[in-house]
Amino acid sequence: MEDFSIIILFLFVLFLLLGTGVWVGLALMGVAWVGMELFTTRPVGDVMLTTIWSASSSWTLTALPLFIWMGEILYRTRLSEDMFKGLSPWMAALPGGLVHTNIVGCTVFAAVSGSSAATLTTVGKMSIPELRRREYPERMIIGTLAGAATLGLMIPPSLTLIVYGVTINESISKLFFAGVLPGLVLASMFMAYVAISSRLSKSWNPTPEPPMSLSERVANSRFLIPVFLLISVVIGSMYLGFATATEAAAFGVIGGLVLAASQGSLNWKTFTESLMGATRTSAMIALILAGAAFLSLSMGFTGLPRGLADLIAQWELTRFELLMVLLLFYIILGMFLDGISSVVLTMAVVEPMVREAGIDLIWFGIFIVVVVEMAQITPPIGFNLFVLQGMTSHEMGFIARAAFPMFLIMVLMVFVLIVFPELATWLPDNIRQGPG
Amino acid sequence: MAALRGLRSALDFTYLAAGVLASLCLIAILVLIVLQMLARWIGEVAPGIPEYAGYFMAAASFLAFANALNRGSHIRVSILLNAVPPHIARWIDVWCFAIGTAVMWYVVYYGWRFVNFSIMINDISQGQDRTPLWIPQSFMLLGAVIMAIALTDHLIHLLFDGKHRIQRDLVDQSFGE
Amino acid sequence: APATAEKWDMPMAYSASNFHSATGAEFAKCVTTGTGGEIEIVTHPSGSLFPGAQIKRAIQTGQVPIGERLLSGHQNENALFGFDSVPFLATSFDDSAKLWEAAKEPMTELLASQNLTLLYSVPWPPQGLYFKNEVTSVADMEGIKFRSYNNATSRLAELTGMLPVTIEAAEISQAFATGVADAMVSSGSTGYDRKVWESLNYFYEVDAWLPRNYVMVNSQTWEGVSEANQNVIRGCAELAEYAGNWRSKEYTSFTLQGLRDGGMTVGPASEQMVNELKEIGVTMTDEWLESAGEQGAAIVEAFKAMQ
Ligand code: NA
Ligand code: NA
Repeated sequence: MEDFSIIILFLFVLFLLLGTGVWVGLALMGVAWVGMELFTTRPVGDVMLTTIWSASSSWTLTALPLFIWMGEILYRTRLSEDMFKGLSPWMAALPGGLVHTNIVGCTVFAAVSGSSAATLTTVGKMSIPELRRREYPERMIIGTLAGAATLGLMIPPSLTLIVYGVTINESISKLFFAGVLPGLVLASMFMAYVAISSRLSKSWNPTPEPPMSLSERVANSRFLIPVFLLISVVIGSMYLGFATATEAAAFGVIGGLVLAASQGSLNWKTFTESLMGATRTSAMIALILAGAAFLSLSMGFTGLPRGLADLIAQWELTRFELLMVLLLFYIILGMFLDGISSVVLTMAVVEPMVREAGIDLIWFGIFIVVVVEMAQITPPIGFNLFVLQGMTSHEMGFIARAAFPMFLIMVLMVFVLIVFPELATWLPDNIRQGPG
Repeated sequence: MAALRGLRSALDFTYLAAGVLASLCLIAILVLIVLQMLARWIGEVAPGIPEYAGYFMAAASFLAFANALNRGSHIRVSILLNAVPPHIARWIDVWCFAIGTAVMWYVVYYGWRFVNFSIMINDISQGQDRTPLWIPQSFMLLGAVIMAIALTDHLIHLLFDGKHRIQRDLVDQSFGE
Repeated sequence: APATAEKWDMPMAYSASNFHSATGAEFAKCVTTGTGGEIEIVTHPSGSLFPGAQIKRAIQTGQVPIGERLLSGHQNENALFGFDSVPFLATSFDDSAKLWEAAKEPMTELLASQNLTLLYSVPWPPQGLYFKNEVTSVADMEGIKFRSYNNATSRLAELTGMLPVTIEAAEISQAFATGVADAMVSSGSTGYDRKVWESLNYFYEVDAWLPRNYVMVNSQTWEGVSEANQNVIRGCAELAEYAGNWRSKEYTSFTLQGLRDGGMTVGPASEQMVNELKEIGVTMTDEWLESAGEQGAAIVEAFKAMQ
């Protein structure tokens, strides 16, 4: 009963603060403060600062501003145009046209970035203006981007999988391999959705691309060379063992600057603009992360997430039922918590449950990633929604609605994983060696 | 009046200067990470770099808070604000700025305590850098103070002027057109 | 329910399935039952409340009443905290227990001066050396990229001619998979947990040292506990220390078998290597004594007297 009143209170304060327009990071801090003041006897302010400092000064976080900066640099170069020149002749032929560049772009960039927000910013900055210029339906542009960017969490490297692997003592390289095929399948499902809905939609009327011969298309692909060069420098540095993920992000920035310079688009103005833009965007995300860290801590003190997981454990369900309950549970939790926090907070109770039910924990890691991906695009707290809001000045509601079909595709993906568990387990079982 | 104008430009300068300082922290992170890689390749040791990168990360975030606020980078749910008539929106805005101001001054107060605790219990970094932690933590506090001042600044403007001073930068905000 | 029921949140840094966390959970249950619910301890494993690095400070400043921390992480603050991590000083569970006996008093005093009351301490399994390729002497280690995470492990790398590479705990698996590092010093359990056999092939049981986790209470909180309950908690702590020690030993053989099953060659180091490492141990003990002052010297002396 106490749990119930805590839930109601958290929800009420959360909706009040977020709904009236208090900045998200500050609103999360406010909710967490109320929760702690009412339900614990701990010194709230001191706890808050310890948590904020610890969350803000983390070494692993440094990859985020660097990947954002890389995106800012690429945005201010001719690269976005070039990528479109290179990709569009191939994508234009597909039903759904250039919207596919959103998905393909995210899939490729996900192989460099461990975070969904960084994938979103980098790819979105390139693709949103280009797609708008061609008058593709705004909802399609925003929705596919919000959905496909979450592949940043599934296709290795992935911060979520690292946190999950460390929490449950499973091999991180195995988890990384496990994410590859489901990532590609999910990307194909997004593309299939785009293709089908473009055929069914009556309002689908983008500016048609000029027709192009095969040799012209191949010739146009030269525009892709800089992008792929950059991405192979970043991925290559990681997989050949020159650099860790954060260091690969530094390669990305330097590579971006070198490319910009070689194109003649690097000057003092674009340099400072890209730098200040990255500084502000990463500050925005850092404020939300700080608030989320404090909220997670506050919920940890109240024991709420564990109480819920305990409740589920009491029901004694079959494997499929358990997965369905967990799916629902994480979808609801994911509406309010960031993915990493919900993994860390609940795994203590969920892990024994899952082990007992005989579910493969590598497979379950990918299941968790899909539900965490959903959390990125479900309101009221969904990181990709916030980032997209910052990028496009659309309303949260609009973005959430645009992303809703992607959410459904991810739900479908869960069932695909249940029916074909080999998608996640085959690659890690058959590749024993680390890459490189 | 001249005093007020002086204060105005001093404040604006502070917000901008903190933002520039934050961006220098980002460059510092980049340089540190490159140094770490170079050191490894030539077989040298560059101890403590992850810790320093973390400190610069915190400083970059907090020092840029105010600048990000002034440029409308911080995210908020504005469904309600856009739906109601302007005179009501103004009071909702007052509420938001009041909450934001309160939360941030609360952070400043406990941030001050936090830094003092670090000095008092002699909290030293557990990494190879051995940095007394109050030093990097002070930059977090400084950023929080500037953010709290900026929120107060907007709140006062909103109360007496009828509007806050957040300028949404369209180039920064929407990458269309 | 008892009139004065108190809830103690207890942050722990390691995963719920780790034996330290299991010991902590049983200790919590023992206290809750023993005090008739007057004090209910709730453990929060996996760093879900505070990450390891913040736990000592959180207890000190009363943010939580109780918690568990690997104190050798705080050597920068006071070299004495590193007494359990001097390489090749105490190289078995028995020696570790003796060293702890020698250090108990100065450590309790040091902690008391920091507003902390010590309850119990449990050692990790002994630290061994992981390598990608076979190594039979210190000379073989020349130029190998060695994962270091603090000054002592960097120094160890330096003295053995290896290249210290700083790698955060979260990046261990990736760093080995990608060849950023080819060796590390750690317990069998770390290697087992991280499944390092995917990248590394040799584990040498050199038993370099046995670092310890410590469970501590905020001293003001402790003073506020009734004498009867203090006795209950002390009793539970003693049980926990005993059980934890036992688990640590069990877990050592379990994880080493796990490494073998994973395909690693697990065994003692060559005699030559052991002797060379012992010499390095003497150097490092001397260096530690320089920074740990009289109290450090007293610990080492008392320990040697027990041999
Ligand atoms: Na990724
Ligand atoms: Na969400």
